[in-house]
Amino acid sequence: MDYLYDGSFEGFLCCIYAHYYKKRAEGIYPENHYQRTMLQPFFIVETEAEKAEKVYKAIQNKISNASLQRVYKAFLSNDIQKETKLLNYLVLGFRIGKKVDALHSETVVYQVQQLEHKVAAEQHRLLGLVRFSAIEGKKEKDKEKDKEKDISSDAGRHILYSAIEPDHNILELIADHFAQRFPEETFIMHDIKREKALFCQNGDWYLGHLRKELTYAVSEDELEYRKLWKKYFNSIAITERTNADCQKRCMPVRYWKNLTEFHSYP
Amino acid sequence: MPGLDVMLEKLKILADSAKYDVSCSSSGADRTKTNKMGTAAVSGICHSWSADGRCISLLKILFSNRCVYDCEYCVNRRSADVQRASFEPEELAKLTIEFYKRNYIEGLFLSSAVEVSPDYTAERILKALSLLREKYGFSGYIHAKIIPGVSAELVRQIGMQADRLSVNIELPTKESLAILAPQKKAAGILTPMRQITNTMKEQKSLKGAGNRFSKLKQGNDYLLNGMALPTAVREQEAKYGMVPYDKGSLHRFAPAGQTTQMIIGATPESDRQIIRMSESLYKKFQMKRVYFSAYIPVVSSSKLPALLTPPPLLREHRLYQADWLLRFYGFSAEELLDEDSPFFDLELDPKVTWALRHLELFPLEINKVSMEELLRIPGVGNISAMRIVRQRRLGAVTFDDLKKIGVVVKRARYFITCNGKYYGAGDIASECIRERMLSQEKIRSGLLPREKEEQLSLFGSERRNLLYEPKEAARGLLV
Ligand code: SF4
Repeated sequence: MDYLYDGSFEGFLCCIYAHYYKKRAEGIYPENHYQRTMLQPFFIVETEAEKAEKVYKAIQNKISNASLQRVYKAFLSNDIQKETKLLNYLVLGFRIGKKVDALHSETVVYQVQQLEHKVAAEQHRLLGLVRFSAIEGKKEKDKEKDKEKDISSDAGRHILYSAIEPDHNILELIADHFAQRFPEETFIMHDIKREKALFCQNGDWYLGHLRKELTYAVSEDELEYRKLWKKYFNSIAITERTNADCQKRCMPVRYWKNLTEFHSYP
Repeated sequence: MPGLDVMLEKLKILADSAKYDVSCSSSGADRTKTNKMGTAAVSGICHSWSADGRCISLLKILFSNRCVYDCEYCVNRRSADVQRASFEPEELAKLTIEFYKRNYIEGLFLSSAVEVSPDYTAERILKALSLLREKYGFSGYIHAKIIPGVSAELVRQIGMQADRLSVNIELPTKESLAILAPQKKAAGILTPMRQITNTMKEQKSLKGAGNRFSKLKQGNDYLLNGMALPTAVREQEAKYGMVPYDKGSLHRFAPAGQTTQMIIGATPESDRQIIRMSESLYKKFQMKRVYFSAYIPVVSSSKLPALLTPPPLLREHRLYQADWLLRFYGFSAEELLDEDSPFFDLELDPKVTWALRHLELFPLEINKVSMEELLRIPGVGNISAMRIVRQRRLGAVTFDDLKKIGVVVKRARYFITCNGKYYGAGDIASECIRERMLSQEKIRSGLLPREKEEQLSLFGSERRNLLYEPKEAARGLLV
């Protein structure tokens, strides 16, 4: 039996609940990505806060807090097998308890650890590979935008805007870092791929929907600082040590299109 | 602010002159005090990588390159014919805050040539830092260079604004210093170093380098290759005492500690002299890091390597690996290199070199030996050693487990037994191992085709460009 769910973490936890209280799950998949086959029966699991809460607490108490965090991080990965890998991990965890944390040599553990590792690595990488632009506080036409209304009322001051396209769904993992860093700014971090965004004002943040295409006007001196930064970026490289491979290994090309230093300015 | 074109020009000149400075680390300061803008992250964050593959974390820049000194090895020395520029304190503060706001950088790394005099330069640097901290409310990371010869009061005030301070030792011996940087006196370098150390000691924030395995505990007098403080200075220091640290202040003095830098390959010193020098600096001043910088010939001089001499990048890399062994693996300089063999084997990493010179200690049984011994096995790092110890409590570690644990098995296998069995294929004769390790090392440096599977590097974060392209360099220098 395959379990299908709505793609949320809570929904996934409900699948774990169903696995124990209803019927064994062989695989767990988000319903919008599932390839239905004749051979494999499937069942759509409803997301219920109460059940999710129970499983959440159970992981915390019967396995460990470290495992809960690991499961959560791994869940944010873009691996298509992640739910099934996590299922196997949790099954083992509920059997042997806290010991699962350090059982590196067990394949089931190793796999989830790899997912966690990838997400954590991108999380750390994105702390640096985000570029903000100062944009005019007043939105020109996007008045119909649902929740960021209170932001556009902040006329006169600029807003910091950044577009990102991370491999994994790491927006919420980097939110606190930036909220603390810019306690007096209003900023938006836009995950274009997932059409969601982090809205932050005076250190408080929330996540919301934000569609792909946006129009905005950059503030007056924005272009100047972009040029200055690009000039700096080019001047700091040591010609005698040029090493494009190393540059690409550390900063994969797929990130470049959202980085100011790789654009050209008139 | 002057026009954009002027700023672009200044930025170009002053970034260009700062780029040979190696230290990029932005970690270690925890300035939690909330301010208008900025946090100093505890683990370093890279914001970009330049075309040479080096991480860009800080706005690394000179305040001015108008120098009155004439250090032989320096592009900016007085007698050199280069474009000159200086920032105004306000310009630099504003630039930093605007870059920071856009998340281009993690902070500022400010150095300078000696414009007019050490104190004149230091005052302007202090002005820029104060503007940044006070006017713009910046609480991100600042690393400031202290120019040798700056007065104690200015060192103190800059230290109150900066997270990290460094005074460059420049060269590994007193003799070399006298030849290549005649205006910089050993005492002028060591005096502020000691002041910084003592001030941190006073505010109880002196941590030093390395982890719990390092043997870099503070000691008394270490040889600094002839660069000891002259007695006169010591007496003077004893007489006036340290400039008192202001306990009531919100700011702390250099919370991220002190570092220094040494130029490698401009002078004939041996690796042994260099490593012993850095060990002394760690012990005597409780430095956070000692950086090395492979000398890139930028000027033609009879006292220096010829213009087309390739910078000793591989040697620099070996020294960094050795430094790592001092800080995290419990090795001492004396153990790594003795008088009979004062250089590292350029083709092997220093840990392997050491192990091959001490084959009598191997093989070690993975399931029995202590943490300290595990750390001496080539291919075993801090994390994998910790994992081995942790997993041993649950059951014997098998040979297959080692790879998953993160051990570089290809390297370690010659030096271990696992549950009594040796996996090194054949006997442990030094030459034969060396042969095999060598071919692996070449693969790692990209000289031979790489095998499909990525190897975990023992020195992950220190890994850098090992392949030097002489043609490229020649072009860069001639134009
Ligand atoms: S003091 Fe020496 S090393 Fe520093 S800028 Fe001047 S000439 Fe160069």
